[in-house]
Amino acid sequence: MTTPLRKSLLVGAAGLSLASSVAACAPSAQGSTPQKTSTVSGPYKDGTYSADGDYFSPNGGETVGVQLTLAGDTISAVDITVHANNPNTKEFQGQFKNGIAAQVVGKKLDEINVSKVAGSSLTSEGFNKAVETIKSEAK
Amino acid sequence: MTHTGWSDFSFDGIGTRWEISTPEELPDGVRLSLLGVVEDYDRSYSRFRNDSLVAALAREPGTVTLPASAGELEQLFRKLYRLSNGAMTPLVGGSLERLGYGADYALRPLGDPVPAPRWEDVLVWRGTAISASAPVVLDIGAAGKGQLVDLLAAVLRGAGITEFLVDASGDMLHSAAEPLGVALEHPYDPSQAIGVVELHNGALCASAANRRAWGDGLHHVLDGATGRPIETVVATWTMAATAMEADALATALFMVDPTVLEGEFDFSWLKVYSDGHAAYSAGFEGTLFS
Repeated sequence: MTTPLRKSLLVGAAGLSLASSVAACAPSAQGSTPQKTSTVSGPYKDGTYSADGDYFSPNGGETVGVQLTLAGDTISAVDITVHANNPNTKEFQGQFKNGIAAQVVGKKLDEINVSKVAGSSLTSEGFNKAVETIKSEAK
Repeated sequence: MTHTGWSDFSFDGIGTRWEISTPEELPDGVRLSLLGVVEDYDRSYSRFRNDSLVAALAREPGTVTLPASAGELEQLFRKLYRLSNGAMTPLVGGSLERLGYGADYALRPLGDPVPAPRWEDVLVWRGTAISASAPVVLDIGAAGKGQLVDLLAAVLRGAGITEFLVDASGDMLHSAAEPLGVALEHPYDPSQAIGVVELHNGALCASAANRRAWGDGLHHVLDGATGRPIETVVATWTMAATAMEADALATALFMVDPTVLEGEFDFSWLKVYSDGHAAYSAGFEGTLFS
């Protein structure tokens, strides 16, 4: 990891604990699905926090945006957005959307009626870093 | 929740999150047995802890005795080492450390990529006995998580539990009357899926080049023959009877032609390439969104 996190903390209020295990669960934290897991030390302040995490894919540097809503020592919402700031990724995502023959097509997980996801989250690294930033700044 | 009404038992083990789902809540005794098997596995194979068996081989040449389950691991790695012409090797640990993916998680390359030592040069592995003629960093990660899924399933079956899903954060083994729909995560957007597969009495595993990426073009799926990360395939999925095979084959698909693997293994596969196209075998037909 060579690029420092860009930090953009939004809000803050009172009392919460945010877990590193939350980060480990990131791949299954689908869109804004409520995320109930919460263990580690607090307290943190209630509110909605966002941070960007940088990571590196085989395409080069990428940025992922993570927004967490914290209330009463738990994470009540997680929202992840991938900023396609790498030209290769833009092109790649474009190809995903074009639906050319033999191109895979993405659908939002919350539109699919499944309880399990198999895959490998590209964003876990950036997500973990962003969560760490939020933890340190929400104290 | 896996199937409606099932109970989940979740815990952390070998660096990942586990969720075991069963129709009835698991008794405490079974939970303890499961956690014990996880701890034994970690203590045997983790290259991230000093007191593991493989850590001893990294310090100095010698022989260690692995657990009984090492026999089938050896057979599997031996076969894939041959089929991949040395690209898929349990000796890739040193190459990973070189690129920064070592026990200290420095995540900074220590120098140019180094090839893994050749199995035939440094390693004698016969079932539970493994000897190294030089310090070697064993990394059985390509099949280890899957094997542990199978070992935990064996604990459940041993306790008379026949219906379950053992899920190690996306690598899973299913056993139940009803099939389970599982989304295939979009390799570039975890809020999306590229398809849904029906998993029924078998294993589904995934591998992605970018799951643990830590530098420009540096990730954890390496070609052992060159020590360099593999770049053309971004994600793979496999289905097989055991999670150990499915897990290993998901990695093998990064470096071996699927038709070569099909000649020796009974499995289904799906590959997504960096240009966005996908290739798949019959078992994944109709699973991708269009």
